[in-house]
Amino acid sequence: MSTPAFEGVPLPEIQIFPERLLMASTTEVLLNKLYAVKNVRQINIQGEGLPAVIKAGPGTGGPVNHPERRKIKVRGEDIELKIQVGRVFVEIADIDFVPQALKDIEEVCKEVLPFSFTLEVGRYNKFKPTTTDYNKGLVK
Amino acid sequence: MAKTKYKAQLYPGNTLPAKNRRRFMDSSVKLEKLRDIPMDDVVKILGHRVPGSDYATIHAPLAEGNEPDCPIRALVEPMEGAKKGDRIRYVQFTDSVYWAPIVPYVRAQMYMCRYRGIDTGTLSGRQIIEMRERDVEKVAKELIDGETFDTARTGIRGATVHGHAVRLDENGMMFDAWQRFRWNAKKGEVEYVKDQVGVPLDKPVAVGKPMPEKWLKEHTTMFRADGVDMREDEEVMRQNLRIHTLRTKCGFKPFDVKED
Repeated sequence: MSTPAFEGVPLPEIQIFPERLLMASTTEVLLNKLYAVKNVRQINIQGEGLPAVIKAGPGTGGPVNHPERRKIKVRGEDIELKIQVGRVFVEIADIDFVPQALKDIEEVCKEVLPFSFTLEVGRYNKFKPTTTDYNKGLVK
Repeated sequence: MAKTKYKAQLYPGNTLPAKNRRRFMDSSVKLEKLRDIPMDDVVKILGHRVPGSDYATIHAPLAEGNEPDCPIRALVEPMEGAKKGDRIRYVQFTDSVYWAPIVPYVRAQMYMCRYRGIDTGTLSGRQIIEMRERDVEKVAKELIDGETFDTARTGIRGATVHGHAVRLDENGMMFDAWQRFRWNAKKGEVEYVKDQVGVPLDKPVAVGKPMPEKWLKEHTTMFRADGVDMREDEEVMRQNLRIHTLRTKCGFKPFDVKED
């Protein structure tokens, strides 16, 4: 979602694991509400890939037109959602802020998600560029 | 030759999934019919031919008598599709781990007990049936109409079947990257908008409402930690362990296998 510079230390992440895969509309509301939580530094999302075109079989090359693959607006910015979201990782600016952030995020999830979910604190994503990122030219 | 008195036991166990498995496998049990999808719609979903068109053939009809003499041919009554020389075509079902009414392995066992002229293959989340074209259409209709099919948790997918082990979406539908079927909120039912290989259909084919959670759990053939654990069924465990032991030993040193 956003790529702030590396902090020097791995910061904690709160993983939101919903019982169901989220629709694009729910994802949009959830992300906007999560960004409003204090001390949220960045949010990463993970889920099932939604291809734009069919890549196998007799229908190869045809459009998939999946309704959940569409643009959503997060913090006023248009983002092309290419996955059906299954997990949300909310990075918190400092470990001391985690207990309060957990409470706030739980409130947001209870409000937005009409089904159960679990919250977990840990570090789930890489926190500094990897060799592959250099190879791919993603790091300047 | 004396006729052997033998009654197939089909599947061990007395727990609910074991009983349901046995029911599916028992060809004398008529399975519940939950819906009636028109044959033309089934043909459209399969995507092998245009409804109403002729069946393509790969050999001349058997009635022409061009086949060489063969005792097996004399013994086995050919299927309708074989008689006419139809092509081999397929249908493939994907079953969600979230309480789909049947699972691929049980599908294989059920198919072998109920149908003939069939070639079936089991994979982790899907089960393919290959048959003569007109026969596969009949079987596909029977399976789609029957209780082994839930419109939300069973998918008809020829390729890119991924989704059986993925969480359901907000509408309770199994994930499909190609979105072959969708939830129609206005009608409260599921409809297919693409055929089993993702080619768009002219107009959606409605397949009906998904079954309620309670019904799915009563009809389940799954042993699950959050349902009936397989370890709760002593007889199933014993049978599975026996098969596992025998197939291991028989591959290693079969002469050493001693059983009562």
